[in-house]
Amino acid sequence: MTVRAVGGELASPPTGRLLPRRLLRLGRFWPFVPAAVLLVALFFLPLANMVVYSFWKTVLFRIVPEWTTANYVRFFANETYLRTFLKTIVMAAVVTAAGLAAAGPFAYFLVRYLSRRWQRVILIATIVPFWTSYLLRVYSWQIILGERGFLNQALMALGIIHEPSSIFVYNNLGVFLVLLYVYFPFAALAIYASLEKFDFDQLRAAQDLGARPDQAMRRILIPQIRPGLITAAVFVFIPILGEYLTPNLVGGTEGVLISNLIVNFFRAAQIPAGTAPALLIALFVTVLLVVFRKYLRIDDVVTRV
Amino acid sequence: MDVLEGMPVSRYARLTRWLFRLWGLIVIAFLYLPIAFLILFSFEDSRTIGLPWAGFSTRWYEGLPQNPQLLQAVGNSIMVAVAVAILATVIGTMAAFPLVRAGLRFPNAVRILVTMPIMLPGILIGIALLIFLTRVFGLQLSLLTVVLGHLVFTTPYVILIVAARLQGFDRALEWAAADLGASPPRALREVVLPLIAPAVMAGALITVTLSIDEFITTFFLIGPQLTLPIYIYTQIKFGVTPEVNAMATVLLIGTLGAFGIGAAAYSQGRRLLRLRRRRS
Repeated sequence: MTVRAVGGELASPPTGRLLPRRLLRLGRFWPFVPAAVLLVALFFLPLANMVVYSFWKTVLFRIVPEWTTANYVRFFANETYLRTFLKTIVMAAVVTAAGLAAAGPFAYFLVRYLSRRWQRVILIATIVPFWTSYLLRVYSWQIILGERGFLNQALMALGIIHEPSSIFVYNNLGVFLVLLYVYFPFAALAIYASLEKFDFDQLRAAQDLGARPDQAMRRILIPQIRPGLITAAVFVFIPILGEYLTPNLVGGTEGVLISNLIVNFFRAAQIPAGTAPALLIALFVTVLLVVFRKYLRIDDVVTRV
Repeated sequence: MDVLEGMPVSRYARLTRWLFRLWGLIVIAFLYLPIAFLILFSFEDSRTIGLPWAGFSTRWYEGLPQNPQLLQAVGNSIMVAVAVAILATVIGTMAAFPLVRAGLRFPNAVRILVTMPIMLPGILIGIALLIFLTRVFGLQLSLLTVVLGHLVFTTPYVILIVAARLQGFDRALEWAAADLGASPPRALREVVLPLIAPAVMAGALITVTLSIDEFITTFFLIGPQLTLPIYIYTQIKFGVTPEVNAMATVLLIGTLGAFGIGAAAYSQGRRLLRLRRRRS
């Protein structure tokens, strides 16, 4: 096959044999190779390896390569484990719902009532906490909710309670509050990103055509910002499934989530037993990502933080 | 540019506007109150934190530079973050090019695979790598294993950020450079890289922040050393003290300062570059 360009020979005709097209295509991928090696060697292979381990036995603290489903069976047979797993999912769902309910009106406020310049200022102010240490943000709530914390002192000063109460921290409520605090910026960012693109004249048009405000909202606004809502939900829901620090620091014994159990398994050197619940989370996350892949606007969140 | 300004506003609309403003205020207060308290109580004199206020003191700050464990932890954290930032930024930036330009057969599948390490909770990366590196390869846990762990979730961030920038990139500029006789490496160096530099910078900055802040993967992958989050964690587990608050405040101001300086230096650098070009 001779290569000819319009108007004569190519400036520099290809020397030697032309590479087969497939090889040429492959050649263009070479900059991706280091990243691919990194992700395969340090992420996908370790995960696959963990799947294998989860089907192996532990005998006297030693891992024996014998196939068994005992790790999963034991997990599902134990009421405490199962309850903690389900509770983790419920907690993630509740925080997600609260996060959307708080972030929706907030994003709407930004888009509708502020100038571009102020939108950017407030948005940055919303993201700045994300740039500060996660550990310290959780810790700061201990100062507020703890027994000698600000909330208790304020309530005592107002005469509402007479002794410092520990109902605010080291329980599920504390975990809920702190998780909402930590993941709110993601939700706000994702919803803002989709609201910003929405043309609000459409709402007015719908109402001119006789739609009630709630109808216009449901049939015009919500469908168009659905990707933002789903992205927000996913970005709040998924990390909570693997949340360790918050329940560890403000959850007490009541607020334990699944990751705390996993860490305990590892502390007790029961590695295969610990991998079973971990893989359940991984499976759950993967299913969510695949189901919602069409709606996910990960770039909206990741490239803006 | 208040959308509703200049129009006859009903009482109902005015009420909604105030409600939304109030909500915005509540949200910002919710986000910043804990941080404010954190800083406030770093200046408290008494050993145990809480009201009533025992008196103003900067003694917790004065103690910080004399704490060898803390200094070592900070040193380790910076070392890890720099190594992770360099590797993740180079590998991630390279990977973004074929992702956007090479006409992938299954772009969505590749995208999901690249995002998986960001989306999967860190605890999974931590334990999967722990088992893999120590049990399969018999590696000793050290700062090196921490670097490997951090690379897993920071590299995808760089890939996505640079890819987003490349997507909006006008390739005609590159072709123009080639037409004018620039070799591909030269076009890359003088046309493409300066244009995607903001994204590369942002990627590196995010990598540093994520690495310095990362607790859970570090928790699983670190050997006998300490990084800053691990050190702070052990301190918090001891109890709430103003010393932790002082540390937190310094860290807070440090992160934000670095972020601000980075952004300022970057825009200043561009301005200088433009000036120099104009002169020559």
